[in-house]
Amino acid sequence: MIAGRALLSRSAPLLACLGLLAIWQVAALILKTDSFPTALEALRAVPSILGDKESLINILASLRRMAIAFSVAVAVSIPLGLMMGRNRYVASFFNPLLMITYPVPKAALMPIIMLWLGVGDLAKMLVIFLGVSLPVIYHSFQGARAVEEKMLWSGAAMGLSAAQRLIRIVLPAALPEILTGCRTGLVLALITMVTSEMIARQSGAGNILFNALDMGQYETVYAMIIVIGAMGIGLDAAFEKLRSRLVRWSEPGFDIPLSFA
Amino acid sequence: MESLELEPFWVELLWVGCWAKSKLFWPPRVRARAPAMIAIDHVSQTFQTSGRQSHLALSDISLTIEEGSFVSILGPSGCGKSTLLYIVGGFVNPTQGEATVKGRTITGPGPDRGPVFQEFALFPWKTVLGNVMYGPRQQGVKSAAAEAQARTLIEMVGLKGYENFYPKELSGGMKQRVALARTLAYHPAVLLMDEPFGALDAHTRTRLQNDLLNIWERDRKTVLFVTHSVEEAVFLSDKLVVMTRSPGRIKQVIDIDLPRPRRRAALLLDPRYQKYVVDIERLIDDTGEDGLRP
Repeated sequence: MIAGRALLSRSAPLLACLGLLAIWQVAALILKTDSFPTALEALRAVPSILGDKESLINILASLRRMAIAFSVAVAVSIPLGLMMGRNRYVASFFNPLLMITYPVPKAALMPIIMLWLGVGDLAKMLVIFLGVSLPVIYHSFQGARAVEEKMLWSGAAMGLSAAQRLIRIVLPAALPEILTGCRTGLVLALITMVTSEMIARQSGAGNILFNALDMGQYETVYAMIIVIGAMGIGLDAAFEKLRSRLVRWSEPGFDIPLSFA
Repeated sequence: MESLELEPFWVELLWVGCWAKSKLFWPPRVRARAPAMIAIDHVSQTFQTSGRQSHLALSDISLTIEEGSFVSILGPSGCGKSTLLYIVGGFVNPTQGEATVKGRTITGPGPDRGPVFQEFALFPWKTVLGNVMYGPRQQGVKSAAAEAQARTLIEMVGLKGYENFYPKELSGGMKQRVALARTLAYHPAVLLMDEPFGALDAHTRTRLQNDLLNIWERDRKTVLFVTHSVEEAVFLSDKLVVMTRSPGRIKQVIDIDLPRPRRRAALLLDPRYQKYVVDIERLIDDTGEDGLRP
């Protein structure tokens, strides 16, 4: 009985995906329009994309941009967020800037950024950077603010300097919250990656998608959506695995199996 | 008049000789006596509350704590007793006056004063062993030596077998035992205990009091202990500082003249213990538990 439940909870994400595909299939069969292929047709187009060398290079180039932008954003945002959380002056300087930039859709900045940096990698990476950094800063800030004062005092009594306390107490204590921000950032990185390529049509996964749309290859469009979705699930699952390994010590929460891992 | 003004120079020499002799053979008394472990000198603390008002939390507190004594600060909540402890810890700077430890003015936290908080404040990402090793490692003790010492301390506080547990896996009483071991590990000259058993249930509290007393009676470290429990304070302390609130003032300092080593069962039956408890409760009651004068 318990084993059965465990099996059910493990296979639930798979069942959910199959259910979605089934609804899609039925809906497409009922609607019967050219621009809405059935799930099976879309799935059949997936291997042709992954088999094609050119599209594979495009997808990998996208992932490379995303990885670089994500890493730089995390490396910059975590220290900034932590310092904001622990220092009133840093917080009051950066908070208004973030308040202004947070609600702006980062893709909307793309045309301006393209004017400065062209349509190459740098412009796209900057957009991804902006998309990732805000949630990571915000969560690092919240995490650092929530660190128990007495924990820092204990560290100070042991002889840790202010900088050491930031790195050796605030950072680990805020890590669960920081990683929540990174997870949001990772999903946003994928989204901004695709949208940036949608606007700066030069290469990448988003480019394949919108080129196919222009040419009316709807199977390819939907197959690409499946590929991007699968990339999202894969990245999220990998990150979740890393996250749970890093913060095993923190309070166990209600664990919803979101991933296939 | 003439003779007074023109003293021969050998008179001067005589004086200098006497002075030198006194320095050499009769060193002054002040030098023989070591300064008190902690001296609190006319300390006042004002907090800014919302709406530009200031609240006088501590008013003109002076207190000395001798080396090796167990001193409790007792008072109703809000009397500033924790604030006084934080000032000694260097976590809070007094608005007026100063506190010294071994004659040196306290300007910030330091490893000579080890705090134990009601909230435990353990590092949740470290195991029990990691927490206890943290202070010595910070002070440059080699890993192996720090670990060996930490294991001894963990055993001393009764947590042998829990070395690799994370704080979230421990009960409140166990967490406080770890916190005590973590602080003892870096050998502070003074233990600063801020209502350490306040968050624990009655049974756990009693056990921890007994264990703390056992540990303390072994090496007689200087302890400054904040509590609002009269029984706890009388049971543990050599000296008891009773405070009133609004503003926080010292009402009375009472020496607890009970034999050591103290054993709970014997002590509870001791009429002297009972008298202390009753007298001190009455003293606090005079002040008004809620800060209102009756």
